[in-house]
Amino acid sequence: MTTIVYLRMKKNIELSYLKAVKLKDIALVATSEDVKKTLENTSIYQISKKDNNIVVIDSFLVIKHLNKMHPDLEFQLVGPTQTIIRINKNNKAPSVLKVAFVWLLLFIGTAMTIMNFHYDVSMQEVQQKIHYLFTGEQNEFPLWIQIPYSFGLGMGMLLFFNHWFKKRFNEEPSPLEVELFNYQQDLDHYIHHHENRLNDNQHHH
Amino acid sequence: MITSIIINIAELIIGLAGGLAVGGGFVAFITLLGIIPRLVQISKADKFIHAFGTCVLAGSILGTYLSFTDITWNLSTIILLIWGGFHGVFNGMLAAALTEVLNVFPVLTKRIGVQRYLLWLLMAIVFGKIFGSLFQWLIFVK
Repeated sequence: MTTIVYLRMKKNIELSYLKAVKLKDIALVATSEDVKKTLENTSIYQISKKDNNIVVIDSFLVIKHLNKMHPDLEFQLVGPTQTIIRINKNNKAPSVLKVAFVWLLLFIGTAMTIMNFHYDVSMQEVQQKIHYLFTGEQNEFPLWIQIPYSFGLGMGMLLFFNHWFKKRFNEEPSPLEVELFNYQQDLDHYIHHHENRLNDNQHHH
Repeated sequence: MITSIIINIAELIIGLAGGLAVGGGFVAFITLLGIIPRLVQISKADKFIHAFGTCVLAGSILGTYLSFTDITWNLSTIILLIWGGFHGVFNGMLAAALTEVLNVFPVLTKRIGVQRYLLWLLMAIVFGKIFGSLFQWLIFVK
């Protein structure tokens, strides 16, 4: 009776240097103890300079390779069909200067866009009219509406994003986190397709 | 006499058609930005989602009335404070949702690699909005 080996590819892994990728780096293995060790330490791929920073390893190639070495074993794949390896040579924190620059960019940018928006929708006029409607007095600068409005603006954004610096209001993921996740998924999906040689017709021999 | 009736009917149709288009567009816009689902999620009030829809409708009609009417009420400044505050929170959510839709954050963090400072950058946007708004009303327009 053949022993069945269950393989579960890891979706994403990050490496900080060029190394020989072993099976245990890219997949979880479930089988009898004696073969597990040897399988896990099997070299699958040698990352070289020309791989740039993304390598996709398809489960098909892994199984093909393993099958050649262990014809007596039967391989079953569960979970993702490929692994994305990202090579991060310099994984150090971005400089404070860069973050400060982006911070200022966003701060000034949003301040300007909100002012342009207020002009665009003639908010001053609407607020003047509301002020007259409510109080019966004309007031060119209805600050009693405008100042709470300004602070409310910030509160609404925080409410939407569910964050106050590092503190969160409840356990649910915020739309921002969902958006980041979806963007990462989309990128992975693209990479799966375009960096995988099996999907490229020119490489079919 | 006849012409004035025709003109009135034409105006009626134009008004109704315009209202339909604007109303449909407005609701589509609010829905697209996902502010209502977000509020339902935060307030855990799934049961009242229809009530929220009715609120949007009632608010739109009240707003329409307020923009065309010429009456005044003698209300206190406290009402103005509350009104302004609510307007601000709603607009803040609107602005946040727009940033969201435009995918500014994911691209920014990916390109520049400032992922771990994401929340600080979010605060930059929040404070930028507050600062810009206050600056405009207190200094810029005077």
